Amino acid sequence: MQPLRIALAQLAPRLGVLDDNLATHRQTLAAARSGGAGLVVFPELGLTGYQLQDLAAEVAMRADDPRLLGLAADADGMSAIVSFVEEAADHRLFISAALLEDGEVRFIHRKLFLPTYGLFDERRFFAAGDRLRTVESRLGVRLGIGICEDFWHLAVPETLALDGAQILINVSSSPGRDLAAINEVGLGTAASWRTLMRTYAQLTTSFVVFCNRVGVDETISFWGGSEVISPSGEARFTAPLFDEGLHFVDVDLGDVRRERIGLPLLRDERPELHLRELRRILADRADMTIEAASEAPDEPEQP
Amino acid sequence: MGAGAGPQPLFELPPELAIDTDVAQRVMVGFIRNQLRQAGFSRGLLGLSGGIDSALVAFLVAEAVGRESMLCVLMPYRTSSPESVDHARLVVDELGCASDLVEISEVVDGYYGRDGELGAGGAAAREASQLRRGNFMARARMCVLYDRSVLWGGLVVGTGNKTESLIGYSTVFGDSACAFNPIGDLYKSQVRQMAVAVGVPEEIIRKAPSADLWPGQTDEIEAGFTYPELDRLLFWMIDKRRTDEELLAMGFPAAAVARVKRLVAVSEFKRQVPPVAKLGPRTTGVDYLYPRRRPGSAR
Repeated sequence: MQPLRIALAQLAPRLGVLDDNLATHRQTLAAARSGGAGLVVFPELGLTGYQLQDLAAEVAMRADDPRLLGLAADADGMSAIVSFVEEAADHRLFISAALLEDGEVRFIHRKLFLPTYGLFDERRFFAAGDRLRTVESRLGVRLGIGICEDFWHLAVPETLALDGAQILINVSSSPGRDLAAINEVGLGTAASWRTLMRTYAQLTTSFVVFCNRVGVDETISFWGGSEVISPSGEARFTAPLFDEGLHFVDVDLGDVRRERIGLPLLRDERPELHLRELRRILADRADMTIEAASEAPDEPEQP
Repeated sequence: MGAGAGPQPLFELPPELAIDTDVAQRVMVGFIRNQLRQAGFSRGLLGLSGGIDSALVAFLVAEAVGRESMLCVLMPYRTSSPESVDHARLVVDELGCASDLVEISEVVDGYYGRDGELGAGGAAAREASQLRRGNFMARARMCVLYDRSVLWGGLVVGTGNKTESLIGYSTVFGDSACAFNPIGDLYKSQVRQMAVAVGVPEEIIRKAPSADLWPGQTDEIEAGFTYPELDRLLFWMIDKRRTDEELLAMGFPAAAVARVKRLVAVSEFKRQVPPVAKLGPRTTGVDYLYPRRRPGSAR
């Protein structure tokens, strides 16, 4: 047994009211601690609200902001993932998720895919992250963190699993839409997310933790429905739609080993084949030779 | 998904328009609560016409804020159908909420004149078409509602539906004026489905929709379409992005497709905030983009 108690903080942040949201995070961390949680997951932009537009710059924090470090202190003894607008040293703004452990900001993931279509306009206000890494956590396993749209791109969960993640974590501010009665739970968005998350858990034989916010920003209602899915693709827990709440879910991390021994999909992955074909595809697209296309770009620096 | 109880359906619901009414109700009620809270208000008011749209909104507002925090304003004109006021009262009685009756006849007649007497609008107003008078009535109701909103200390909740908004069957700065609108993304057929789900009285759901701006007026005669036909066409054209060719192949008549496309295009201006000439470094709606409600914006 490798028991882990996960706390899903399905909150309704107040748009642009950083102080209130910080207070809610602190209270939630305290409640998670008394509930015995080892991992606490907050939703995308839980500290700021989602539909910020030009407010983004006004609520941005640097990674070493004392308010963030204060939260890290509150999370001591647990692993907590919180999300905020990060201002880099060069003043680019990112949608970021920070892993707080042992009183410090252990790791930051910057949202890679910024939806700018339909009801989304993220690229107008934010810069896209440019690295995808897993992080060794105090829980004894590597974590792979993505933010909302990041998990609408297959390569993200795949890369995280290949990089050693045993728990894939997605923090979201997913707007509910499409109420067609034929949808599984009366909400097209929820049906799509459930399909994706179960599929990733099964294909990467990893736990998937999905934390989605609730509440309303302007015209958008966020639908919640946060989940924990086992490495065999079964939902261990599904939070109610639209209701705020802190939910505890007990899992056995030993399930990852059992699933991977029984179903060694990850062992059989062929990243070298994938890479070779990707190089060819990129070369074809740019009408270049494979050699020219495969010159590795410089390692992006994290400012 | 049935369209109402009993052997005789209350209305025709095209299957592709059927929505999950529980989820929709949850979203709309949460939206109303949130809009009021963000603005620093706890009360709402709306113009109750006796029709299905405002009846549905009344039921939703009652659920969101409680009957004691809502006001329905009945604003008949002297030629309005007496049935309209009766139906509005039915909703008020059912909900047990506050209501106000404000006749707009003197306001409207004061401008257009009456019985041969010239009004404030002079001779140019005397011969006004039904359309002009109807628009004036819608705007007079807007004036009354916004005035009453100060007295009531609440926000005006919009009652226009998606169908009428898309084809421009509304009066700009009249019935479309509101602080926020919970049902503006529901087609008329979906409004009917919701009305059944929340318990709007059956006689209101059954009767022919009408703007009641002149006697005998009905939406469907005026538009030349039935709502199920129109809603289906708009749904496939707009929500599902079907091209004209695809719509024709689906069996929609060419004349209907052409007419509805034109109605939608011609009324685009009614659905948008009026444009401001770009002159300075930051211009509202162009490159000054803030959420409508943000820290400090509540009253």
